[in-house]
Amino acid sequence: MVNDLHHLAAAYVLDALDGAEIRAFEDHYPTCEICRQEVTEFRLTAAHLAAAAAVTPPDALQQRVMAEVATTRQMAPRPGVVTVDELAARRNRRFTSVLAVAAAVILLVGASVFIVTSRGGSAIDDVVAAPDAQVVQLEGETGSVRLVWSQSREQLAVFGNDLPDPGAGKTYELWGISEQAGALSAGQFDPVDGTVREVADVGDMAPTAWGITIEPDGGSPSATTEIIFFGET
Amino acid sequence: MDGVNPFRRRAGADDPPPGGLSPADRALAAAALGDEKAFAAFYEAVSPVVYGTVLRVIRNPALAEEVTQEVFVELWRQATRYDRSKGSAAAWAATVAHRRAIDRVRSEESSRARDDRASQDAVPATDVVADKVVDEIATGLDRQRVQAALSRLTDTQREAVTLAYYGGHTYREVAVLLNVPEGTVKTRIRDGMIKLRDLLEVA
Repeated sequence: MVNDLHHLAAAYVLDALDGAEIRAFEDHYPTCEICRQEVTEFRLTAAHLAAAAAVTPPDALQQRVMAEVATTRQMAPRPGVVTVDELAARRNRRFTSVLAVAAAVILLVGASVFIVTSRGGSAIDDVVAAPDAQVVQLEGETGSVRLVWSQSREQLAVFGNDLPDPGAGKTYELWGISEQAGALSAGQFDPVDGTVREVADVGDMAPTAWGITIEPDGGSPSATTEIIFFGET
Repeated sequence: MDGVNPFRRRAGADDPPPGGLSPADRALAAAALGDEKAFAAFYEAVSPVVYGTVLRVIRNPALAEEVTQEVFVELWRQATRYDRSKGSAAAWAATVAHRRAIDRVRSEESSRARDDRASQDAVPATDVVADKVVDEIATGLDRQRVQAALSRLTDTQREAVTLAYYGGHTYREVAVLLNVPEGTVKTRIRDGMIKLRDLLEVA
């Protein structure tokens, strides 16, 4: 039987096994180095077979797909990273206390200076692809913000959509919040038409939560307004 | 802050593409962060492969559109969990598309349609759909390479691989269609895929 399983990778990738065999092979191959490699390679081979069958779909399909996408929630980024629902629940329990900590410590923590280095290539891809990249969904009233933070790279990518204009002479400021270090500024950003795609060098920080406030242009040494987006790492 | 802002550069269209990442890969990475515009770009890049694969298996354009829509909603939902180390974004989309199409044709309500398809397949498999549809992407390099590679398989290997992948049949069904032992079909599929893998330089 084991010997048999070893020879099923090709048929498995072509979806040519039936139910019981699929389950048996899916139990087996993650633990078998040879089969795992074959599955990976045969999947790429099958992708060529798929590409050779390419046919442009009718134009109207894209609108239907995007309309459904607009109302469909994505899955949590990966096990261990909080989902929006979990955040909402936790926020109800803990938001007040964290805010209190943040407010107390913000007063004590001065401005942080970050070193700006020039960097080629696609900075966003580099952060997103970092092995320790962690995705954090922030909760707010209007719009959405997701952060991808790589502690090892000391970099952070901000992805914001549908964000309100902060107002003339004002900017969004992001804060890394922990009980030990308080609220450290991770820099400011300005949405263009409500959208943000930016990367920051945030230095060596280990926040347990992230928050966003609206501050005067150039940023503030400490938060001066209420946190409008919040999420725990 | 002395005006020093770490957010000092924007990622945009002027970024050079990093090595090894296709536009579809990059669009999917952004879509994984909730960016619907990026997902639209991902759709434009891979929808011919998804729709073409689904259409090949399902053979009914209206149903293929419906399944293609399901596939993309699934890709959107799971974009957050896509593992780039296991293959390109396009390969992932093809995997999800093929499996979803197979699930549809093997489901209870399609059993009748399936009987019809099986009888069609009793005659030697030809490019029923592909020959009818002329598409600029489909007539590109990938199709030529794959056709060339397929032409170098033995007739029985090619038949087994295409009946399974494009025909959507299990190897057991292929064995019945060809009236050969199941073990023989498994071997033909395996040998054919190994040869294709080597010819297409996947490994």
